[in-house]
Order: sequence, then structure tokens, then C-alpha cells
Amino acid sequence: MAEKNKGRLTKVLDYLKYDDPFSKGVSFCPGCGLELLLRFIPRVLGNDIIITGTPSCSAPVLLGQNKQSWHTLSYFGTLMTGAAANATGLVRYYKKAGIDNTVVCFNGDGTANDIGFGNLSGAAERNEPFIYICYDNEGYMNTGIQKSGTTPYGATTTTTPYGTVHKGKNLRRMNLGVKMAMNKIPYTATATLSDLEDLAKKLLKAKKAKERGFCFLHVFAPCPTGWGANPADTIEICRQAVKTNYFPLWEAENGKIRMTKTVKKPKPVSSYTKLMKKFNHMTDADLQILQDDVEYETCLLGGLSVLEAECQLPVSAQD
Amino acid sequence: MNTTAISSNIQVITGNAAAAIAAKLARPDVVAAYPITPQTEVIEQISSFHASGEMDCELITVEGENSAMNAVMAASLAGGRVFTASSSWGLVFMYDAVLATAGARAPVVMVNVNRETPGIIAVSSGQQDMISTRDAGWIFLIAENCQEIMDLVLQSYRLAEDYDIQLPVMVHYDGFFLSYLSEGVEIPAQETVDQFLSVLESQPKRTMLRPGEKLGVGTHGILGGYMELRHKHVTAMERSKAKFDAIDQEFADIFSRSYGGQLEEYLTEDADMVLVGSGSMCGTIKSVIDEQREKGVRIGLVKIRMYRPFPHQALVKALKGKKAIGVVDRSLAFGFDGGPIYTELKAFETKLGGAKLVSFIDGIANTDITKTNVKQMIQMTADLADGKDVPEVTWVSYPKANKDKGEK
Ligand SMILES: Cc1ncc(C[n+]2csc(CCOP(=O)(O)OP(=O)(O)O)c2C)c(N)n1
Ligand code: SF4
Repeated sequence: MAEKNKGRLTKVLDYLKYDDPFSKGVSFCPGCGLELLLRFIPRVLGNDIIITGTPSCSAPVLLGQNKQSWHTLSYFGTLMTGAAANATGLVRYYKKAGIDNTVVCFNGDGTANDIGFGNLSGAAERNEPFIYICYDNEGYMNTGIQKSGTTPYGATTTTTPYGTVHKGKNLRRMNLGVKMAMNKIPYTATATLSDLEDLAKKLLKAKKAKERGFCFLHVFAPCPTGWGANPADTIEICRQAVKTNYFPLWEAENGKIRMTKTVKKPKPVSSYTKLMKKFNHMTDADLQILQDDVEYETCLLGGLSVLEAECQLPVSAQD
Repeated sequence: MNTTAISSNIQVITGNAAAAIAAKLARPDVVAAYPITPQTEVIEQISSFHASGEMDCELITVEGENSAMNAVMAASLAGGRVFTASSSWGLVFMYDAVLATAGARAPVVMVNVNRETPGIIAVSSGQQDMISTRDAGWIFLIAENCQEIMDLVLQSYRLAEDYDIQLPVMVHYDGFFLSYLSEGVEIPAQETVDQFLSVLESQPKRTMLRPGEKLGVGTHGILGGYMELRHKHVTAMERSKAKFDAIDQEFADIFSRSYGGQLEEYLTEDADMVLVGSGSMCGTIKSVIDEQREKGVRIGLVKIRMYRPFPHQALVKALKGKKAIGVVDRSLAFGFDGGPIYTELKAFETKLGGAKLVSFIDGIANTDITKTNVKQMIQMTADLADGKDVPEVTWVSYPKANKDKGEK
């Protein structure tokens, strides 16, 4: 068993070609999913990426403070409302000036799915050549754990608390990844931290595909603090999210969806929800609603991948 | 400076076309914009220049004004020359990015075609959009006519991108009155514009956001660094005043048109009374002044061309020792007696050598500032000079406002 694990790790190490540009200790909570992801990206893509980020949990580390920075990347700290438009301005100017570039727009789900969705959508329509990575911690964490459009049904947050009348979020979560894939952009993928090899491959694919236009990665990134989870369980949470089909791993080229990991016998969603406190209060009936939602999304994804495989996007509409 | 006049040509074009052609002549790298009345024609013209290959820029047809400002801010920080245009709600919708652009010291140039922004969707003129954003940290310039729109856009690039300034500049002009007004405009030759803007190339390179260069833009400034940046911003704004005057001089040498920099003074030297105005109303005011002068009325005009930073030193110099000053505002300042420009000028009253001030509010939401209205303003300013009792504020085209303060 130990030997097997060692083999897996070595394979991932193969993708880590570059030095970690971040200082060793940075001000994230222990076990933070977004930190692990943030450190991983430049190690795979290289240190000459330009990274942009908005006010969020990633901001204190990504954006530096006053004249000091926690990393050696070029970066653009910007507003929640316009991140994708900023990245657009950068890549368009670099294009005009003939400067090679990899611009990575790195934002939370609040920015990507909610307040900044308009310009994310616009960048996708215009097929702007950069990589947008949404780390999804299912809420606004930096302002103290409020609900976002990707917060799942039932979850408690500080704006969807448990009360006598309302018991957590009573709306379903939005599927940001599928929304983006349906724009037929060159590359869309979901990924998470339990499947690093898959994540690395997808980052590299995006780096290549951005030569043809817009790329979107939707990365599931647990927030132990906001979700009430043990920091040591971050990777296990990711693993269970995949195994229950709560967060399926797939990719899409020009909208053609393909699973990159098929879960033969999905576990019940409770084996995921039990790992954190935000679902603690849910009754079996409530959990069933979440389970039904997971199954609906899985079914939809399956249907879309079959449909998309049958349809041919006109060549002229691809680039 | 070499003053060889390379042939220009005169065409009858709208104010919007003048802005678009000026933008083209400045050869921006990136243009991003979104349509809104009465600005739409600017972006349409640029799109057609782009489509015909006349304009070699990256044109980003964004999904909203907020993105337009964000895109040009970023492109500018990366090192590009940029242009955008908006108006009214569009300006308001880009407001957070407008602030970020100023704070980042991105030398963005844009035109804002002034239009009202009250709750009823007023597709009409008025400077309230400009006033609502006046302390965003941008340099604000205001044009009087189509020729001046053209000239101010060109001058803006020199000001915004100057190594000593590095601030965004907004050129304002009255929607409807100027956006759709066709006038003969002298369009300079590309070579002459290139020559005028070439000064910027000889300056030190500003810091640019480039791959691998390890530059951070937009950090969290919470400690002393933030105060330092704000102070530098304010001092750069102050520097832009003299710089703008100098650019105007240099512009005159090359293009044979001078306006006077921060302010244009019209027959002020021997005047006892002065009207202070801005934008298209100044043309009307000048023609009334000409008539009044023939009757021996010693009236002049101070036209505000640079509104932010507020040209208070230049205004004090121009207005000192006059008997009476009437300030005409095309916008409102809630809670003050008088319009916004009037209120600001009031802060320097003690430096004006005893000149008395009155406020005129007119031209809001397409209400025309007619010659009759201007005559009334001059008469009231003359009465003030003569020591007569004149109300502090007069809504010229809405006399009811002057009587009925209790209206609901
Ligand atoms: C326009 C605007 N509204 C609100 C805020 C306050 N704010 C700062 S961070 C944040 C939440 C960010 O959420 P997300 O993008 O999901 O990132 P996370 O904090 O979860 O990492 C909010 C609402 C802001 N910075 N800008
Ligand atoms: S609150 Fe959550 S997302 Fe934010 S730093 Fe802590 S663990 Fe990470």
C-alpha cells in the first residue's frame, strides 16, 4: 500500500516543474483548499504567469500588503466586479504588442458565479485568450462565510443560518462549470485537490488551449473554517465529493463534455456531508433533497456528454 | 518645436465624430466601450474605422461599461495607450472601476458625453454625471464646441501619459447640444498629431505590468503606504494644472489654436463683471457678451476647461478685483445654496478682493440656456455689482423655484 501511494506521488511530482513562488508561511487558515491550489498552479504553469485576484480569501496573500508581497509573481489585484474584464484588457494589449503571456484570473465562487459573472460571461463570448480559475469554497469566506450562488442546499452560512423558520440555504446551488462549458469555449474543466494529477493535466491543457481562446477551470476547494471541518480532512472531503458525485470531474473541449473520472458506484451524499458541520442539522428528508439534486446534476451531465458527442459545432464557431 | 503645418482638413462633423476621429489620430492600442445615448456614435465610428482597417487597435466590444473601464485600465497598466467613451448611467455603472483606475494611476483617456442621471431616465443634457464623479481622482476637462472636443482629446494623451502626471483624464462635453451638433472642425494631419504626441516617447518608461517582471499592481494598502500613495496622487493632480497650461501653449505652436489652459478668459481684462461657465453654454454667453459690450456693459467670461483638479489659483487670479461674479451651473449640489461650481468657488471668496458672487442654475435636462437667459444672468450680475439686492441662487428657466421654497 505504501509503495503504491509513493508511486502516485512521484507521478504528481513530475508535473511540478517550477519553484513555489510563495513564501513558506502565509496567512491562510490551516487546511485551506485555496492555498494548496494557489501554490500548485505556478508550480505547474510556471512563474511567468500573470495572476489577477479580487478581494477574497486569496487576496491577503495574492495581493500583498503596501509595498510587500508574499510571492514573486506578477499580479494584478483588482475588484470583485471586473476581474475577467481586467484580464481581457491585459491579454488584448499583450496581443497588440506581441508579448507572449499566460494570464490566470484566479477568483472565488462569489466573484465568478455572482458579482463578477457578467464580465466572466462576456469574456467567454468574446473567447478572450486567458485562463479563468474559480476556486469554489461555496460561499463568501473572506467577509465571514455568507451564502453564494454555489452554496449547496441545506448548508448553513451566516446569511443562511439555522433558525426556527429557515434551516440553512433553501435554494439549490448553481452549476458554474456546466454554465461555462455551454459557451463552447475551447476548454472547460472541473478539478479538485484529491486528484492532483488530473488537476495538473487540466492546467496544462488549459495553458495550451488558451492559444485558441477562453479557458475555465472550476476547482472544488474546501474551506475548513467556514464549513466546520477538520483541517486535516481537506483532501478527504475532496475525495468524498468526487466519490459521491457531489463534484464530478470532467472536461469539455468546445463544449463537448467528457468525464475524466467515472464513479461506478457513487456513495450516498451523506458520506460527504458528514465530514463537516455545515450540514449537521439536516434531517434525512433534507439530505434526500440534496441527494436528488446531486443525481439530477449527474444525470444532466451524462445527458449533455452524450448529446454533445453527437453534435458538431460549426468550425467557424470554434475559434 | 517644429511648427511646420502639415495640411489639415476642415470637415463638418458632429461632436461625437470629433471625439472618435481624435481617438483614431492618437493611435490607441486598445479601445473598449459600450453604447449609450448620446455617446453611441463615438463607439460606432470607431468600430467602422476598425472594420475598414483605418484604426489598428484591439477593439473590445464589452458586455457593459464596467468592463470597458476595467479592460482599458488593465491594458493601460500593461503599457498600452487606451480609449473609452461613455455617458450618464454608463459612467455610473463603471464607477468602481473609475475609482480603481485613478488609484492605480492608469493613464486612461475617455470622453464622457454629459447627460442627466436622475430617477426618471432623462435622455437629456446636464452635467450631473460629471459632478457625481468629480472626486474620483481623475483629471476632468470640459469642451465648449466640436473643435475643442477634438483638441482636448489629443491634449489629454499628453497630460495622462506624461511621466510626471500618470493620471486618467476624462474629456466632458454636453450631450445633445454638442454630441449631435455638426460644425466645421479642422482635423489635423496624422503626422502633426504624431509629432505632438512624440514627446511622450522621449520620456522615461513608466512601470508596466508585464509577464515575468514581478510587478504587483493594486496591493492591499492598509498601513502608511496608503497615505503615501494618496498624497502622491493629490500632488500629481496639482502638477497637472501647470502641465495642462504648458501643453496648451505647445498645442498652439503646432496647431495654431490656443484656449488658455485651465481657463479660457473672454474679455475679462477690463471687465467689472464676469460670468463663470463651462461647456457649450460658453458659446452662447460669448455671443451675448459681444452684444452687451456694444452697449458699453463691461462683462467678460471665464470658461472652466479643467474642472478637476479645481483650478482655484487660476480662478482667483482671473476673478480678483471684479465687482460681481455670476456662476452658471448645469448641475446641483444638494444641501448647498447654489450649484456645485458656485459652491466650490465660494470657498475662495475671501481671496477675490471683495467680489460678490451669485449662483445661476440652468440648462438642466435639456433646458436650453438661451441668449435671453444669459441676458437675464448678466442683468442680475450687473445689479449685484451696483449693490442691489439679488437672490443668491436663481433657477433661470424655472422661476417657480425662486419663489416657492416649500414645494413638495
Ligand atoms: C463590490 C464589492 N462588494 C462587496 C465586497 C466585500 N467582499 C470582500 S471579499 C467578499 C467575498 C468574496 O467571496 P469569493 O469571491 O467567493 O472569495 P472567498 O472570500 O470565498 O475566497 C466580499 C463580498 C467587495 N470587496 N466588493
Ligand atoms: S476562511 Fe476558508 S477559504 Fe478563507 S482562508 Fe480560511 S480556510 Fe481558506
